[in-house]
Amino acid sequence: MTKDAKEKEKLTFEQALAKLEEIVSAIEEGEVPLEQSIDKYADGVELVKQCRQILDRAEKKIQLLGRGEGGQLEVTGELDEPADEDGKEA
Amino acid sequence: MSAKRDNLFDFFDPSRAKGSRKGPDVGRDVTRELAGGDEAARGGPAPGQSAPAASSAPGGESRGAPAPSAPGQSAPGAGPGGRQARQPMSVSLLVARVKQALADAMPDFVTVVGELSNVKCHDSGHVYFRLKDSAAAIDAVMFRAAAGKLKFTPADGLEVVAEGRVDVYDARGQLQLYVERMTPKGAGSLELAFRQLKEKLQAEGLFDAARKKPIPRFPRAVGVVTSQTGAAVRDIIRTLRRRWPAAAVYLLPTPVQGEGAAGQIAESIRLMDGSARRLGIDTIIVARGGGSLEDLWAFNEEPVARAVFAAGTPIISGVGHETDVTICDMVADVRAATPTAAAELAVPDASAVRGWLSEAAARATRRMRRRLDEAGLALESIGRSAAFRDPLGRVRTGVQRIDELAHRLRGGVRHRVAQARRLAEPPAGRLAALHPARLCDRGAAKVDGLLARLRWALSGRSKRSGEALVAATGRLAALHPARLWDRGAAKVDGLVARLRWALGGRSKRSGEALVAVAGRLAAASPVNRIRLARQQVDGAARQLDAMSYRSVLRRGFSVTRSHVGRILRAASQAVVGEMIETELADGRLSSRVAGAADAPAGPKASGVGQPAARCPAEAAANAGPTGPAAPKPRPAPKPPDAGPTLFD
Repeated sequence: MTKDAKEKEKLTFEQALAKLEEIVSAIEEGEVPLEQSIDKYADGVELVKQCRQILDRAEKKIQLLGRGEGGQLEVTGELDEPADEDGKEA
Repeated sequence: MSAKRDNLFDFFDPSRAKGSRKGPDVGRDVTRELAGGDEAARGGPAPGQSAPAASSAPGGESRGAPAPSAPGQSAPGAGPGGRQARQPMSVSLLVARVKQALADAMPDFVTVVGELSNVKCHDSGHVYFRLKDSAAAIDAVMFRAAAGKLKFTPADGLEVVAEGRVDVYDARGQLQLYVERMTPKGAGSLELAFRQLKEKLQAEGLFDAARKKPIPRFPRAVGVVTSQTGAAVRDIIRTLRRRWPAAAVYLLPTPVQGEGAAGQIAESIRLMDGSARRLGIDTIIVARGGGSLEDLWAFNEEPVARAVFAAGTPIISGVGHETDVTICDMVADVRAATPTAAAELAVPDASAVRGWLSEAAARATRRMRRRLDEAGLALESIGRSAAFRDPLGRVRTGVQRIDELAHRLRGGVRHRVAQARRLAEPPAGRLAALHPARLCDRGAAKVDGLLARLRWALSGRSKRSGEALVAATGRLAALHPARLWDRGAAKVDGLVARLRWALGGRSKRSGEALVAVAGRLAAASPVNRIRLARQQVDGAARQLDAMSYRSVLRRGFSVTRSHVGRILRAASQAVVGEMIETELADGRLSSRVAGAADAPAGPKASGVGQPAARCPAEAAANAGPTGPAAPKPRPAPKPPDAGPTLFD
């Protein structure tokens, strides 16, 4: 899939996980004052939700590539999820 | 190096013989000569034996006539077996005869093992070299067509097995091996080629660990370069989908073996790398299922290695089985043992990530709960502390101080008292009068009175019993100790300052304490105030009792105690003959009970407590410190109004 413009605004998955790790550490270490840690906790809950959303999204089709005009690669077709086809051992 | 060989070459190579540099161009007629020469050698006159070497005139003329340009006389053809040539033959002939002899003696195709040296690869594609062993060497050439099929690169020092034809290179009369096929001795050519390329690329740094790029943990899309058929592509796709369905998958079908495969694979890698940014491909997998070295060969070829190295996108190489390591694997950023392993390295396991997310959420939640609990406990413990449980502890202290001061006002050194009294009597008196305990006393006394009236009213003595009841109830409410306490507290407030002044600053601190106390008094909750007031009242009342009965004593009353200190209230409590103690205003008397007689009957003291203590206090309050010279006491509560008291 080409980059989703909406995704660019949010954190990438990797960034979200990193932020979450940071929040959990901060809460666990306990150096953060109680009110701030409550705010962080709320942020953390939101991040977990976002991450789960990304995980739940499933790109279904395999995209086939081929040479298009100008020598660039283009999508020329799609494959379904592979069942166990018979193929000779390559 | 050529010194040893010279003998052989001298023999055959005219250019090495003294004198001439270059052999003559013998050309075409040597065969004829050879034929002619042979006949002559077999004996019998033959038409021609030798022709002048330089000329191309066919046939020889005279037997012995020396031709003018002939380099030398050739002996009459002695034939193949002959040792002595009767006439000198031409070089061409010589070479031709040697060639013939060689052709007769040697098989068409020879297989030779030897060491390569002097290898020269020309631009033309032909490879010239020398094949040697410890005692001999032979020049060799491998023409482009044959050389092109070589898997390995010929190099000095390599031991090879060469197959080809041996012949004489006419122009130089040089023995030469024309090599058709060559393989390295011992190892296969593929293995050798592999080793050669590996060393070359390693030296160039293509395998350097420092140049390898990290594989992105969460790729948005993965590009796959492999054949569209076969187990490899199926395994890869299945694994990618199972582990991380969130990533898109792009497949660029590419032949992975056969003629030209290496070039195609390299091209695919280049194309995919070029479009990676546009398509969002974060990682590329190059893969092929298992096979023999020949099957996997394309991935050991230089174009593939160069393409992998040049790519900006991280590349995972998964070629063959676990034990197959190809050059492509070595150049790639990560080597995977199999195509499936390549897919596993390309994407994380979503279920593991989910598990981490849940665990992180649980950890945070647990910790938050604990922190909130801790905060709650901290609050509770603060709530239980002395300051909160007993906020009016200082009030008690203050009240006690009041009592002390009041006591000092009453007792103490005479002139000081007199002095202080003169100054402080009005406010102190009012203070004492307004002591919450006293107010409560009065209130209690009023309650007593009202209760008595109630009883009287209830007994039906008055026509106005009903009205009296109502009035009594109303007044009862008005005399609620809490209310009196409030009033008293406010007055204490105002009078503390005057008291302080009156005492000439001696108890500034206590005065301040009282002020502070008064302030807190105002802030204290009604409930607590009432509760504490009751306690205070009890305590203070007792103290006041203790103090106030002294004035009663001065009027002539006395307090009698048994020998154990118990106050005797009734004559019947005394035992004839025991020691008793009588307290008078200024001291105590000890005496022994001689006899007892009943006092005149008094009214029943039911439900009203200790009349002896109450009324005198009341009386003292009325008769005492409110001296004649004092202005009319403003806040002084009026004596209980109307109604019969218990002492009527």
